[in-house]
Amino acid sequence: MKAIEIKKLKKVYPLVKGYRELLFHPFREKGTTALRGIDLQVESGKCFCLMGPNGAGKTTLIKILSTLVLPDEGSVFIKGYDLEREMNKVKKHIGFALSEERSFYWRLTGLQNLDFFAALNNIPRSERRNKIQEVLNLVGLEESAEQRFNTYSTGMRQMMAMARALLTDPSILFVDEPTRSLDPVAAQNIRVFLRKEMVENHGKTVFWATHDLSEAKEFAHSIAIIVEGQIKAYGSVESLTEQGRVPLQQVYEKAVGKTIENEPKYWG
Amino acid sequence: MRALTQKLWAFLKRDFLEEASYKFSFVASVFGIFLSSATFFFISKLISPNSTSVLDPYGGDYFSFVIIGIAFSGLLTMFEKRLPGIIRQAQVTGTLEAILVSRTSIPVILFGSSLYYILFSVVSTVFHLTLAVTVFGMKIAKINWPGALITFFLTFLCFLSIGILSACFILVYKKGNPFSWIYGSVSGLLGGVFFPIKVLPAWIKWISYLLPVTYSLEGLRKSIITSSAFSEILPSIVALSIFALIFFPLSLYLFRVALKKAKKDGTLIHY
Repeated sequence: MKAIEIKKLKKVYPLVKGYRELLFHPFREKGTTALRGIDLQVESGKCFCLMGPNGAGKTTLIKILSTLVLPDEGSVFIKGYDLEREMNKVKKHIGFALSEERSFYWRLTGLQNLDFFAALNNIPRSERRNKIQEVLNLVGLEESAEQRFNTYSTGMRQMMAMARALLTDPSILFVDEPTRSLDPVAAQNIRVFLRKEMVENHGKTVFWATHDLSEAKEFAHSIAIIVEGQIKAYGSVESLTEQGRVPLQQVYEKAVGKTIENEPKYWG
Repeated sequence: MRALTQKLWAFLKRDFLEEASYKFSFVASVFGIFLSSATFFFISKLISPNSTSVLDPYGGDYFSFVIIGIAFSGLLTMFEKRLPGIIRQAQVTGTLEAILVSRTSIPVILFGSSLYYILFSVVSTVFHLTLAVTVFGMKIAKINWPGALITFFLTFLCFLSIGILSACFILVYKKGNPFSWIYGSVSGLLGGVFFPIKVLPAWIKWISYLLPVTYSLEGLRKSIITSSAFSEILPSIVALSIFALIFFPLSLYLFRVALKKAKKDGTLIHY
């Protein structure tokens, strides 16, 4: 069974109307198309990277898969369960490491934050302490668990987001640009954690949205490149790069129809 | 049932820990209750007992009348401002997404998120009344407990519904909540909080009868101040029951619709 199966997924966001539009055309529907019929399959126990330029639809797709945004058309199956009809069953299999660091309670400690989210995820009180300890050990934050969340570095906050997502022991982990705004050491720790610890040691499926080509090339089993809501390239790293003969940058440039300048034109 | 209790406890603990981390805020709110009691105590000195017949149904004492008004309308303020405030804060900070992705149902999230503030509000109301009785000499008769408790429970359901309706608006439109205006400001003026609605001119008095707070305060005053018989409190209980039967299921349904719309529009954490 595939971890994720997406068929003809479409999403249109309604546009916010101006006063003039509201007055003269109150019922006219206008929208921005975020996804235009996505078809995608993700293998269980693999690391999958979703790449694409800003505004391509990566976050929309990841939010639909994590039940936070509803699609307009198409279907999604997570571990064989219909995302819209069997949302509660789907939630048992997924964990979303929200990259938004404000999604924690800053005046509470890391431990208190995890305790709260563990309770919301039906983890009984008798098991909670052990479970929290287990995920804290996994992400390497056991020493700082008693500190207030607002004292954490950006890298620690990302790791805490991973810990929260892992509380329910999900088989699929969604991560949206987890290395954004991290220093090289913290970024590498997250990458190694996702690929080695999550995928190789724990057999989880990691669905990873990223902008970073080298990150995807080094850590993904398969890659999809999304541009303007459509999948333009999709396959294993080997097949996309023709067993390493074609650089991933070239594959990406072809998919997005733009060249990545090695010497930026507008910098001094 | 056990999971539900643990979830509600988790919400309560979270909010207590957050509020307790703002140490001065708690002291300030206690001091605020003392100040408002003292203010109305001295205002009531201007109105000698039994000087006006409109206070007769409430024992003739303005201080007792107004203390019940401000103590229990605080509960309404809590619901119509706090609950949408909690939703808005969760939208702004992003905690709403983290909560919604968990395995907790919408009614539990709503009730759990307001539980601490409900308890705080109830404790504030009791503190308000205790202060009024012990320090400022408020007169209370033998309380009609069944009448008071039933009225309080129905008041709670009505105010919670108003809070949820406000939260629906915030979820979809983010700001400019009309329920807060209708039930907050208008209830203060026309709901019998500071003066009996009898003093209002007839052309505006009819609005008072459309506000649940009018019946809540009427029932509570009759239960606490004048120790009226249950049959005298019954009209207020019937009116509150009708409000609760309409508004409570409607508010839960509309919250589901609002949440679905926010998820459909992708504006769950927009603000």
